[in-house]
Amino acid sequence: MPQLTDKKTKVKTEEHSSLKGTLASVFLLGFFLIFTWVGVYFLFLDRL
Amino acid sequence: MHMHKYEKIWLFFGIGSLFLFLTIVGVSAFAQGNQPPSCLTTIDPEKVDQTPPFNKPGLVKTGDNEYQLNIVASAFAYTPNQIEIPKGAKVTINVTTKDVIHGFEMVGTNVNMMVEPGYVNSFTKTFNETGEFTILCNEYCGTGHHLMTAKVKVVDKQ
Repeated sequence: MPQLTDKKTKVKTEEHSSLKGTLASVFLLGFFLIFTWVGVYFLFLDRL
Repeated sequence: MHMHKYEKIWLFFGIGSLFLFLTIVGVSAFAQGNQPPSCLTTIDPEKVDQTPPFNKPGLVKTGDNEYQLNIVASAFAYTPNQIEIPKGAKVTINVTTKDVIHGFEMVGTNVNMMVEPGYVNSFTKTFNETGEFTILCNEYCGTGHHLMTAKVKVVDKQ
């Protein structure tokens, strides 16, 4: 049991890590996916 | 449970897009009645030549400016393979195959189907402009696959 509490304090110190880069890359990928889907949809409309 | 603020943002964004997609698919299928080209219409692949409307394949007028185009695909040809359609016609294309899986792609249009033996594929398209379209097989079906084509001509009404 004492070991478990040790681990908990370790996790708490990592909370301050910055996730800015992760946020940026997640949204870059997200916008790329949206862009390609919208592009395909307009291709479909154009060929209707 | 503690979650980072950014993590909440992208989870909201991801789950939100999932629900958006499901809503679009649901409205398209249940409210607008859209369905895939092959939707549970079956046919005996060995008796295609005796089963109407494929016993007389070709263009059939079904209403005012409405047509049915019935095509039989087989290794390695479409029957018929020279089709004339009057401009402005709303054509429901029905395709089936007598042997193996074939493709049915009308180049440059949204007509693109996978033709499976035992099933009838349908797609409705209005031809608003004159011109020529090539139909080709885009599923490898054998040694003559690359020769499997047909031509559609959209012509002015007389």
